[in-house]
Amino acid sequence: MKPNDTLRPGERLFALLLVIFAGYAFWESYGISGFRGLTTGGVMPMLASCVMLLTGLVFLSDSLRKPRAPDSGLAGVIAYLFPLRVVLFTLLVAIYVAAIPSVGFLSASGGLLFLTIWALWRKGPIPALLISLLSIGAIYVLFRVVFQVVLPIGSLWR
Amino acid sequence: MIEILGFFATSWLDPSLLFLTGLGTFAGIYIGAIPGLSVTMAASILISFTFKWDVNSALALIAGVYVGGVYGGARTAILLNIPGAPSAIATAIDGYPLAKKGLAGEAIGISTVMSVIGGLIGVAALAIAAPLIADFAIKFTSREYMLLAIIGILLVGTLSGESFAKGAFAGALGVMIGMIGLDPMTAETRFTYGSINLMGGVPFVVAMIGFFGVAEALAQLEQVDTVAIKQKVGRIVPAWSDVRRYLWLGLKSSGLGTLIGALPGTGGDIAALLAYDQAKRSTKNPDVPFGEGAKEGLIAPETANNAAVGGAFVPMLTLGIPGDAVTAIIIGALYIHGLKPGPLLLTDTPHLFWFIVGNLTLANIFLLVFGLTGIRIFTKVVECPRAILIPLIVILSAVGAYAIQNNPVHITWALAFGVMGYFLKRYGFQVGPIILGVILGPMIDANYRRAMIGAQENIGTFIYDLLSNPISFVLTCALLLMFVTQIPFIKNRKRDRLRS
Repeated sequence: MKPNDTLRPGERLFALLLVIFAGYAFWESYGISGFRGLTTGGVMPMLASCVMLLTGLVFLSDSLRKPRAPDSGLAGVIAYLFPLRVVLFTLLVAIYVAAIPSVGFLSASGGLLFLTIWALWRKGPIPALLISLLSIGAIYVLFRVVFQVVLPIGSLWR
Repeated sequence: MIEILGFFATSWLDPSLLFLTGLGTFAGIYIGAIPGLSVTMAASILISFTFKWDVNSALALIAGVYVGGVYGGARTAILLNIPGAPSAIATAIDGYPLAKKGLAGEAIGISTVMSVIGGLIGVAALAIAAPLIADFAIKFTSREYMLLAIIGILLVGTLSGESFAKGAFAGALGVMIGMIGLDPMTAETRFTYGSINLMGGVPFVVAMIGFFGVAEALAQLEQVDTVAIKQKVGRIVPAWSDVRRYLWLGLKSSGLGTLIGALPGTGGDIAALLAYDQAKRSTKNPDVPFGEGAKEGLIAPETANNAAVGGAFVPMLTLGIPGDAVTAIIIGALYIHGLKPGPLLLTDTPHLFWFIVGNLTLANIFLLVFGLTGIRIFTKVVECPRAILIPLIVILSAVGAYAIQNNPVHITWALAFGVMGYFLKRYGFQVGPIILGVILGPMIDANYRRAMIGAQENIGTFIYDLLSNPISFVLTCALLLMFVTQIPFIKNRKRDRLRS
């Protein structure tokens, strides 16, 4: 992969956030066993976070050298990093994960499949429903029957 | 010798293993071909279901998927101009123009035969080279393993990403994730924040599913509306004269592919691109110019990427260092089954080594059969829209993450890793080094501490040991060289020289 010569929207801010995260990781690593010895449990995390911090700084300095992208304003960053489709899809997946313990794996998965296929495919609710039901049936046969995975039933149905 | 032949033929003679290898290869062709699905993604999801199986069955299925998947990417590259896998990017350059000329069937046929030839040469290289390397690697101590693991992570970062800094950052992040949980030597907690779930550590399969499955699904949402242009397919079985004519090129590309595949951290994608470049330089008068449907431009990358499969198994089985992302997952499968890849694997469990060699050979034979048949059904299946595939990938990722320990928390972790991977990908970070870091981090930690204890916790003695032992010295020099070549002044000089 070739290095990108122009700055991506929000790249400087992202680099800065990575440096802060690496600094925090180093601080947390230091908290494990400090500088008590060279073979303690905290040495490798400290070394790894140190590498993260140094390379994060290199990434940040590279981003400071590159010319600004024309769409590097807040709107550009949001369009680049948080397209509505990605945000909504991630939200739906988060709701799906939260719903599994109560409604169970198959019902939650069926719901997610139906909603996302309907929204992304744009062929109407009937084809989306049919494909979701078919997929859930196949998943049940493959994972529950063949691989014998005990899928969560959900507290609502107990 | 007869014993070795017996191990080699295990999967050929056992009907269930024969079936699983065939199934894996067949499924792999489709997984590799369908844009949006990847072999790495499939292998990481599969491992979470097959860990209860015996090791031979799990390996037969995953190896089949691997061999089939590397080849499968070429079909969509030829038919739709969409490489199903990164290793098929170079294939599309000349494969698609061939299809546009109405020669799609011919292109698929010759690429199938050459892929199989490449695959078999890669497996032969594995059978010959691995025992020699393993004999040498028995001399390795903790120091060498620590250095090899670091080199492996950094190589993946350097070769697959935009910059060395990003690769090293990703690798170190993976090491940090691998450190989460109880320290195996002192039982101290590391980054657990009082959570009982975190005390057991992050299963690397969860990280894999998150970074490869969920992150990829999120990244692909942008291409959900892409529509591919279909091509007509004619005769598939290639003419013998064509096979004979391009055999020498295929052999050369196979050698290159095996060598590139055997380097830790490289894989079929790099092998294919280098082989394409090599073919372009060495073919003086092609019938059709490169980029406009030259068969040489189709054959070279296809042979090389399949040869790289056998090559990638060499460092994995002999040193415990994965050759690419899929062998990193196969290492995980071996660990789950209580096996430790490394030089002793060949002496302690020769049956497993020869089983893998025999199984990869078998998968290549299945590839020839499936590659030259069923093209009409294939063209229908690969047209499956991304709008259906992406939600399915998420569901499969969720069930995969859950199935490892029947723990719903792991689904949340996979989602969190997926979101993290999505952001990193948007800014040019590769997720491969993160996964290698998660897998190799604990190995680096344990070997570093053993080596340091051996040096009586004295930094001077530790450095002296690194420089006085010939193997450690060579590996330390290789590591330093990797850093030195990344110094901006040297990097710019190298770039200027290449330009001139």
